[in-house]
Amino acid sequence: MTDFFINWVANIPGFAAPFALAALGLIVSEKSGVLTLGAEGYMLVGALSGVGAILLLGGYPMAALLIAAAVTSLFSLIFAVMTVTLRVNQVIASLAIIFLGQGLTSLIATRAGWLNVPIAGLGKLNVPGLSDLPVVGPILFQQDLVCYLLVPIFVGVVYVLNRTVIGLKLRAVGDGPDAADAAGVSVNLFRYGAVMAGAALVGLAGAYLSIGIAKLWVDGMSGGRGLIAIALVIFARWHPWRALAGAVLFGGIEALIPRVAAIGLQVPQYFVMMTPYLATLAVMVWASTRGRERAAFAMPQALGQPHTREERH
Amino acid sequence: MTEMQLNIGMARPQQPPAPPSMGWRIPGLLLEVRQHAPIWFQTLVLLCGMATGLGLSFLILLAAGVPADGLVVEFKSIFSNTTNIASLLTQLAPLLIVGLSAAVAFRVQFWNIGIEGQMIFGSIAATFVAINDIGPEPLRLPLMMAAAAIGGMAWIIVPALLRIRFGVNEIISTLLLNYVAVNFLLHLLYGSWRDPKSSFPNSEQYTAAERLPQLGWESLTYALPLALVLTLFCWWLFSLSRFGFYTRIVQSNPKMALAMGLPVIAVTLGAALLSGALAGIAGFTISSGVEYRLTQSFFLGYGFSGILIAFLARNNMIGAILVSILVATFFIASQSLQVFYQVPGAIVQLIQAVIVISVAGFEFFNRFRLRLAR
Repeated sequence: MTDFFINWVANIPGFAAPFALAALGLIVSEKSGVLTLGAEGYMLVGALSGVGAILLLGGYPMAALLIAAAVTSLFSLIFAVMTVTLRVNQVIASLAIIFLGQGLTSLIATRAGWLNVPIAGLGKLNVPGLSDLPVVGPILFQQDLVCYLLVPIFVGVVYVLNRTVIGLKLRAVGDGPDAADAAGVSVNLFRYGAVMAGAALVGLAGAYLSIGIAKLWVDGMSGGRGLIAIALVIFARWHPWRALAGAVLFGGIEALIPRVAAIGLQVPQYFVMMTPYLATLAVMVWASTRGRERAAFAMPQALGQPHTREERH
Repeated sequence: MTEMQLNIGMARPQQPPAPPSMGWRIPGLLLEVRQHAPIWFQTLVLLCGMATGLGLSFLILLAAGVPADGLVVEFKSIFSNTTNIASLLTQLAPLLIVGLSAAVAFRVQFWNIGIEGQMIFGSIAATFVAINDIGPEPLRLPLMMAAAAIGGMAWIIVPALLRIRFGVNEIISTLLLNYVAVNFLLHLLYGSWRDPKSSFPNSEQYTAAERLPQLGWESLTYALPLALVLTLFCWWLFSLSRFGFYTRIVQSNPKMALAMGLPVIAVTLGAALLSGALAGIAGFTISSGVEYRLTQSFFLGYGFSGILIAFLARNNMIGAILVSILVATFFIASQSLQVFYQVPGAIVQLIQAVIVISVAGFEFFNRFRLRLAR
């Protein structure tokens, strides 16, 4: 039983990392007031460009992760132009991004012959001296580089958001674009920056799915994780650390699914596969019952509203 | 909030007042909000958006390795003989119904993205009636259709009530429920509903009484007349009835509708349920009119197509017919492109997304006017 437990907990960081990175990216993007529901599309683009980079470079998973983040950031430029410059309804633009991501990745993967090609991917990195410790060793010190970097990335993003002038302006643009504009902050510049920086993080999450976990590309491999990340952001009320906690919770559920079947418990597999989605729904209901006013306050006040100087709200 | 704004102001006290051309943009161009754009102008903008989208799609197909002349031959052949026109019209029926489903929900600002899940439950309910031979044979088809409508409604009532009661965002909840529905479908098809004859993961074949009858021209079934009747019904409901009048007020100003004492919740719930019922019926027309069994993938792609149709038709029920014909053409064309040029099926989604992006982008000109700054 302890073996089962250690094995399960040791696998949680790997399952939680995509949720955590995607949720963090969405928080960055939405703090600027741009409603970003297209995370599913970003993740697919990140996942495919990661695999593509590895196949083209012949290895170098870390470089591939960075390339994937950059490519996703460029891809999100389409979304930024639509929502920020052309002021398209952000729900419609998000849906278009999801389906554009699905169609484009499927087409490119088939054409380039990247479908179902196994890659070496990201290896585990044992911390010397510490990885052999009982219990703590396998859980904390036998992970891959992305899992180790998860907390530093969160610290960095939270620092920029909450402790720098850039973060202050970004939040101001999301809470009161008219006031920020009047104070001389370029609303459009900050929204472009936030959308692209957020997309880079979501793309990293997608690339981690393909390079770190699956170690190959399959069409539609994000499997709704982008949606779960959106729900996590609502559940965490746009608060990064709470989103990380939620990601660990969902990583725990996902890591449990293959293990329950492996120890011979008789559960209908398709019902088990429903649990992350049902759990997400439950979390959303729970988040909404706990004081809707507080949730409304935590939400960026101008979320989903395009900013036009002449327009009255 | 005020403190934050003050901080921004104080951080840069020497900042000169912002010039009239807003922040970061092409210098020399001013953006003016249009109060109103005439109909001819809106139509022109829509056509420009469609043309741009189709042009981009054409380029994407070329880049994907489909030769230009092959593409032209492909689209010509769709309209060249009656068999192909019949398959286009067969494809049209479910697309039109999902388009109506999306438009009905969007009319009350209910973003139903879960059309595929509702189609699945519609078809599951219809197949349940078929497998268990419920009701006498002459009544079997109407019963299956009613079951499909109820199945679709059952799958949308949860997100509808969650939104009305708890304010849970229906975009996410309906999308999440799609994944639940797919898993439930697989549970049935790999479990108790697996075809006993072939042991393939499909349901057993529907009997003759459980299939939509042929119209007598080519392979067309009653699915198309059914879709057209539903279109007329939706048009009447939203353009002429009192219910439609309420939905227009709810759509334009929900707060005012509440203040006037209109049954806002009932109107929203009613439209959402109708949307689910239509999606369920769309699933039924595919299962009972085309595939004659419940399969694993009959619903794929219809969710986004429904949204696209409603979006391009501006939630207009009659306009949905025209857009559905266009989308049905993509579906048919992509089927043969897949066979002849090994283009993946997702190309339909890609083309639809490109068209949505172009049309939505062009709408900018409906709402704003660009002026040269002097």
